[in-house]
Amino acid sequence: MRLSRILAMAWENMTQRKLRTSLTTLGVVIGITAIISLASLGEGFRLGVKERMEQGFELNVLIVIPGSFTSGLGSFTPQDVANIRENVTGVEIVTPIITLPQAKLNNTQTNEGLNAITVGAVNFSEMSQIFPDRFIPLTGELPSQEENDTVVLGFRTCYLNDVTPVVNVGENVTLQIDDSVPINKTLQVAAILNKGGTSGITNFDYWAFIPLNAVPAPINEKYNIILVKVSDPEKSEQIAKDIENTFENPYSISILVPIAFMRQVDRILNFVQLFLMAIASISLLVAGIGIMNIMTVSVMERTREIGILKAIGAKSRTVLGMFLAEAVLIGIIGGLIGMFTGYGVSYGLAYVLSSFMQPQQQQDTIFRTPETHGMNINPVFSPEWTITAFVFAIIVCIIFGLYPARKAAKLNPVEALRYE
Amino acid sequence: MKALLEAHDIKKAYRMGKLLVPALRGVSFEAKEGEFLTIFGPSGSGKSTLLHLIGGLDRPDEGEIIIDGFNILEMSGDKLAELRLTKIGFVFQFFNLLPRLTALRNVELPLTIAGVPEKEAMERAKEMLTLVGLETRINHKPTELSGGEQQRVAIARALINNPKIVLADEPTGNLDTKTGWEIVQLMKKLNEEKGQTFIVVTHDPHIAETADRIIHIKDGLIEAIKEAPRGNKP
Repeated sequence: MRLSRILAMAWENMTQRKLRTSLTTLGVVIGITAIISLASLGEGFRLGVKERMEQGFELNVLIVIPGSFTSGLGSFTPQDVANIRENVTGVEIVTPIITLPQAKLNNTQTNEGLNAITVGAVNFSEMSQIFPDRFIPLTGELPSQEENDTVVLGFRTCYLNDVTPVVNVGENVTLQIDDSVPINKTLQVAAILNKGGTSGITNFDYWAFIPLNAVPAPINEKYNIILVKVSDPEKSEQIAKDIENTFENPYSISILVPIAFMRQVDRILNFVQLFLMAIASISLLVAGIGIMNIMTVSVMERTREIGILKAIGAKSRTVLGMFLAEAVLIGIIGGLIGMFTGYGVSYGLAYVLSSFMQPQQQQDTIFRTPETHGMNINPVFSPEWTITAFVFAIIVCIIFGLYPARKAAKLNPVEALRYE
Repeated sequence: MKALLEAHDIKKAYRMGKLLVPALRGVSFEAKEGEFLTIFGPSGSGKSTLLHLIGGLDRPDEGEIIIDGFNILEMSGDKLAELRLTKIGFVFQFFNLLPRLTALRNVELPLTIAGVPEKEAMERAKEMLTLVGLETRINHKPTELSGGEQQRVAIARALINNPKIVLADEPTGNLDTKTGWEIVQLMKKLNEEKGQTFIVVTHDPHIAETADRIIHIKDGLIEAIKEAPRGNKP
């Protein structure tokens, strides 16, 4: 018997029992819809999270810290910086930072206090190259390195109330540090930075930056942080290893590799997505059992018909083919409809979820996201997943259709004809 | 005339619960090409079983059945199906048409199974329905046809593949006397025109006597094989 006729007969049979066929197909539709929408939303969610994290972390900036968080911090020397610069490949910029603790900044004229959490001595031009998106002056200009009596203020250090700054560009501030190496300096405000938000572990909005030469000896050669900008973030781990190897004792330093963190999160999200898919697949299996159930009933109902077909010369495999064709057609139709509803449901769910994640009134804490926009989830449809889901639907239909179809094919014609 | 069908010492028993009930206890006969045979006997005599066996629908426990040179005991299920498709046509007491197909589609069915192109199948089915006098009813479904008409459709279906043998199991058993008689006349006519062998199972002596030969069967054994008393003229 020709395949086209087998399919045509199967189709006729299905259309004769419209309600039953629709309900059976609905099971497959739901299964495919669940798989496709969860896959695309999961992928969209993952990209959303990734995007958020890329905003929060400069993935191409490694943060090198002397010592470790747990066993106390030391400091780096200019030689350490030079070693990294010269001996590690894939490194674009290496810049040291000296952080000055216990610093007090006041407007020299009004004596009003600035809200600087940290005062960092940096190389301005290198910093602006490392953080091109953050190190942007709101007013004023970044000073060249030679000056040693200027200061660049993070947005929040002087804009306490968003409207009027405590100090303006061109005015002076007094820096006072009562530490083992006391500093008391008057500095001119060269620039106030735009809102930049948190980078990795800190929020530059609360930092005041002074030139490295403004730091007196002997602490001017004791760097607390080295920032390393790499050309390819994907190679971060290797570069971090190379950086470690420029030190006599590689374990004496710690390196924050943002992309490693990202990768870990990505792995977790991957796992979550697979888990969701597994749950969605269960719905398809349930649909498969539905198909098996309906087809078994159908075989019983059509026992006599099967007997007639066999009596007039249909081979077992023809009968098998006729019933399997029904299962496959249900799979194909259910799969196709499920693809479309899956797309629709994805967009619907994405819309609902996104509206839950609209920006909230943020508290003015130190750690906060750079931009307070909401998180948008856009479903991502990969052709691979779509095709996989579709093929999976058909395979499930074949597997669950096989038992009833075989049952039909194996019927003894004489007994089948006698069946009432 | 050579023997188209040979049955040698066929035995068949059915299991009913724990009991093994013998249906045929050693039946031998042959049918010649173009012959119109009736198998006559009371119900339960094993005549339907015999028909199923010589039609390749079932296999005997013992004995040998040869249809047009093929020994059905040596054939696989698929080969038997092919034999039924190409050499045998069945007519049943309860017509056994597919209820959701039209008369035309029912008659086409064996051709469809044989893989004959749709257009050709339709032409041949129309011809065959005309031959059995149903040219105006081809698009009716079985439920819209009378018993006699349904049996004509069934006969058309049995003949569509030009089988060597047509096997009819109580073809008049579900029809009134007049209609039943018309069906027998139709089969006789087709037997004469097309020269196909007809084997008709019946418990109606009146119908049995229309045959060239009558095989009397009782309790699973052949009692007698009689030549037509009326010289093959109905």
